Amino acid sequence: MVAVTGIGVVSPHGDDPDRMFDALMRGESAVHPVFPELAKPAAAATVQFDEPRWFTKLQLPGVDRVSQLAVAAASLALRDAGALDAAPDRIGIYAGCGMGGAAALEAAYASGQRGGRVPPLTVPAFMPTAPAAHVAMRHGVQGPVLTYSVACASSAVAIAEAAHAVRRGDVDVAIAGGAEALIVPGVVSAWQALQTLASFQADQAARACKPFAANRNGFALGEGAAFLVLESSARARRRSARVHAELAGSAVTCDATHLTKPDSGGQQRALRAALSDAGLTPPEVGYCNAHGTATQIGDAVECDALRAVWGAAIEHLRVSSTKALHGHLLGAAGALEAVVTVLALRRQQLPPNAHCETPDPRCGVHLVLRTQQAADGVDAAICSSFAFGGTNAVLVFKRA
Amino acid sequence: MSSLGDLQNIIREKYNIEPSALDPHVSMREQGLDSLAVAEFLFEVEDRFGLTLPDDHQHIETLAGLADLIDRLRAKQLA
Repeated sequence: MVAVTGIGVVSPHGDDPDRMFDALMRGESAVHPVFPELAKPAAAATVQFDEPRWFTKLQLPGVDRVSQLAVAAASLALRDAGALDAAPDRIGIYAGCGMGGAAALEAAYASGQRGGRVPPLTVPAFMPTAPAAHVAMRHGVQGPVLTYSVACASSAVAIAEAAHAVRRGDVDVAIAGGAEALIVPGVVSAWQALQTLASFQADQAARACKPFAANRNGFALGEGAAFLVLESSARARRRSARVHAELAGSAVTCDATHLTKPDSGGQQRALRAALSDAGLTPPEVGYCNAHGTATQIGDAVECDALRAVWGAAIEHLRVSSTKALHGHLLGAAGALEAVVTVLALRRQQLPPNAHCETPDPRCGVHLVLRTQQAADGVDAAICSSFAFGGTNAVLVFKRA
Repeated sequence: MSSLGDLQNIIREKYNIEPSALDPHVSMREQGLDSLAVAEFLFEVEDRFGLTLPDDHQHIETLAGLADLIDRLRAKQLA
């Protein structure tokens, strides 16, 4: 059995996991307007990051924001986990990242367009492996240091793979999660062009993302990083570690149908396989932190898959997508939402499915529609990530 | 003309390192400026002085050595 013995977040709601969760429970959105110079209004959830807290100026050359957030979040997770008593080569890092150093890449292209020069450290700054590498260097990790790039499922896949590595005995401790920081004008424009971002009235940016609502029309981007520390339950007991929750199971499948359109069959396979891996039946799972990007098609397909797997027990599965409040962190979404799911179990509270004035009647799942919802004895929860490219990753957590 | 003072100012701005903390005659790398920091520093120097450092400048290890090179390049510019 795999235990979660440390959590660390650098999120749009700050870097204290409990305060972040409190804000989610109050239904507070961190989404705000960005880049007023863009032709179309844009909104995103950004991180207030205190660079000097984590890096001297001498440490910053070639370190893109995404790597900075990763180092901070991983450091916080390790601090939370306490003394690991693990040899450096028995620790591994499993990090999800969708795009790598977007700011560095954009700066290089922007400079080129102006007839300027490419900054010399563009390559090491933008490469997607950089966040994991910087975490390894900061903490002297000499075991496997891997980066998973699977779009919106990146960090969920990373966590799933880390759990397998722990179970196989490849490593004694895994630092698993992800980071994403691509809130730069060019990248935001690219997302706008894809027509999946929510539109909003002038002062309504914070409420733009409305998962499972009848009038939903897409998501808002987010940035941030989140990491879990994973080790076997036996090892956690031996060192008297505090266990937040158990990572009871996981599954990763692929739709193999469409590059961007989700597929209910692929999601059902992932949901069933994850439950089976965890040794649980649907009625035993009381909460789902949904992928819930609030696109018309995405939410409908996700609900279809949940209903197909839960059947008659669907009424007892409470569902919410916290992307409404912290944004879609893409490569880091799985990790941040895993932390939210772990906290929901530990605190026995369910974050709301915010901004959903009129739920889509076709969804047919039991949404958490009020704030400050208690969990009523929820002992197991799932966290889903259904990505572009068709990969579906489902993590199953059990109360410690 | 000595560019050493200008270089020391750039290092102080960029890296919060006071001139007194960096011996101009000892290798920069040995004093804690790793290759990435040096690469960015040289890029900044080129921008500030409007110069292009010659390709064979890689062997220059010390701040004083770099200042000499910059002095020569700036003198050529003015000539």
